[in-house]
Amino acid sequence: MATQNSNPRSERGVEDPIIQMRGASVTYDEGESYVLDDVSLDIGRGEIVGIIGESGSGKSMLASSMLDAIPDPGLLTGGIRYNPPDDEPIEILDLDKEGIRSLRWEHVSMVFQGAMSSFNPTMKVGDHFVETLKAHDANVEEGMALAHELLEDLYLEPERILESYAHELSGGMQQRALIALSLVLEPEMLVMDEPTAALDLLMQRSILRLLEDLQEKYDLTMVFITHDLPLVAALADRMAIMYAFKLVEVGPTRELIEHAAHPYTRKLLNSTPNLDAPLDEMEAIEGDQPAPINVPTGCAFHPRCPLADEQCRSTVPEFFDAGEDHEVACYHWEEAIDQISLNYADSLGDRAASGGDD
Amino acid sequence: MSSEPPLLELENVEVHFEDKPGLLDFGGETKTVRAVDGVNLTLEERDVLSLVGESGCGKTTLGKTAIGLQRPTGGSVKFRGHDIWEVRDGKSDADITWKEIRTSLQIIHQDPGASLNPNRRILSILSEPLNQVNAELSRSEKRERIYALLERVGMNPAADFAERYPHQLSGGEKQRVALSRALLMNPDVILADEAISALDVSLRVEMMDLMHELQNEFNTSFVFISHDLSNARYFTAHAGGKIGVMYLGELAEIGPAEDMIGDPRHPYTNVLRWATPDLSLRETGDPPMRKIDIPDPVNPPSGCRFHTRCPEAREVCKQETPPDYQAGEQRVACFREDEDHSYWNSPELSDGNLADTGTNTDVGEESGFSD
Repeated sequence: MATQNSNPRSERGVEDPIIQMRGASVTYDEGESYVLDDVSLDIGRGEIVGIIGESGSGKSMLASSMLDAIPDPGLLTGGIRYNPPDDEPIEILDLDKEGIRSLRWEHVSMVFQGAMSSFNPTMKVGDHFVETLKAHDANVEEGMALAHELLEDLYLEPERILESYAHELSGGMQQRALIALSLVLEPEMLVMDEPTAALDLLMQRSILRLLEDLQEKYDLTMVFITHDLPLVAALADRMAIMYAFKLVEVGPTRELIEHAAHPYTRKLLNSTPNLDAPLDEMEAIEGDQPAPINVPTGCAFHPRCPLADEQCRSTVPEFFDAGEDHEVACYHWEEAIDQISLNYADSLGDRAASGGDD
Repeated sequence: MSSEPPLLELENVEVHFEDKPGLLDFGGETKTVRAVDGVNLTLEERDVLSLVGESGCGKTTLGKTAIGLQRPTGGSVKFRGHDIWEVRDGKSDADITWKEIRTSLQIIHQDPGASLNPNRRILSILSEPLNQVNAELSRSEKRERIYALLERVGMNPAADFAERYPHQLSGGEKQRVALSRALLMNPDVILADEAISALDVSLRVEMMDLMHELQNEFNTSFVFISHDLSNARYFTAHAGGKIGVMYLGELAEIGPAEDMIGDPRHPYTNVLRWATPDLSLRETGDPPMRKIDIPDPVNPPSGCRFHTRCPEAREVCKQETPPDYQAGEQRVACFREDEDHSYWNSPELSDGNLADTGTNTDVGEESGFSD
């Protein structure tokens, strides 16, 4: 049964947050359908957070909300605060157009899937850097020096890349060039929405490895949005799991993988093809996730959940403590850990047994 | 073992493309893209062969060549012992027609949206193969068969789905329609070209399970193309098939799925294994290769084509092309399989002398991962 020490997530947070989202919601059709529903999440300065959700779970809305970049006619409500390193906090939803323009790129930068559509095909890659620097009144010479360094950090040849048109580069090179471009105004934070999804796995993993280096070198905060939990697990300090436009679980990566507490998270982990689990223990989650106009009452996962009872069908669960910095929106999280076994549990045991734990 | 010829047999297959200079490219030379080189493969009845490798490794070209959609520039592709291009050219006295071969070899694409006509309802899209191979059926019989298959692939109620247009379906549903369309041709082989890559990871196991079930019911073989080793493992191991690892047009290693995962022999197979995320939270560290980007297939490196990125490369790898070695049930193109090979006494390649290799500097980069 539910434990006594439940806390609404909004009263808690991380130390030194760079972004504080409180009750962020996005509605269309005059409030009829929610595509982001009451999300509260802190992003700590200097951390890498993975936001995991399936297609249509609202994860891209969450990313766009951080920059007030919701496509029209969506309506974003709630509180989103950006805390610059040594300045007054900024309420993002209070900013005017100019304020938003300078916030994006200069403070918080975004990278989307498919670099090809982000580059103008008639401009050389280098011109994009120059234009971006000029548009934000930055020193072009210094900026281009940084551009060279960033490209080198990403294992690209600066001279050649800057002189190329996007179509002359491979997909992996384009995406890395775009990441360099997004960092040329030295933002504090980088928000990436499926930045590697169109690339082959080897390039995806290589880019993630490079992002890790960039994060350290430039002291960046990173938010990485993806449907691919195992991919981002190698990079993220913390992960936040979305289901049906809400957050359902948040916690440190290792904690989440070893002790996932939401039935959805556990089933998601078991449904993922991987190299460690016995073949016959990988299984799909039964049923489909809901559309925005048709979200089940109570816990939205209840029609697909083996543990669901009357309470789950009627009342939206708040967040419960499931470990250190680990929160889960499920009344039955303890039973979930007990009853839904993880198919890769043995490989975790191996690691612990061989002393690989740090 | 029976003496029946294999379902598909590829011998020394080579596919080279002429890349003609563009209009504005004055004085440009015609370049040859070596998409596939010297590949030998067989596929049996109800078999699975997965081809894995990064973008540009030639896996799609090889797959299309295997099912007769791409004509090889060298070597042969045989279907039940008949050279399909000889049949095509009327040079064969085989009792099989080109049309029968084409019907037997089907494809489903990565993007089912693009392969389904947006202006036609699902019923009409699925009637097409039946009109070709079962023209004698009445309209209502065709409809019945289509409904039954839609239900079989989990699209209930079938009558409702049959009346929809492709844009009214989810990605997974479109892929089920594409799979159904291929199956209605009663094929012997289906080439699934990154057929599950566009689906969310959480939906992939379900789709692969469905493909396995249908494989048994329809008695088909699959050539499964993927850049993701964990998907290839799941799909292949369940069917007792093989995984072939391709690098720059060549097969670097091929073997039973679990052997390839548990005991990768070729350094490049090991790279793909590194790239495959797992949930055991092992520290994976830097990639076991010296460069991120794959060289240009227009001018592939000399010797072993992987030598410009290989962490184990030695001088001899630059000079000589490794033959195939048999290691258990795996076939590996790497000198390291031969413990008496001069490789072991050959000086190591350092990053310093990588610049003068066959890497095309137009595309390849000279910066390495580990310094």
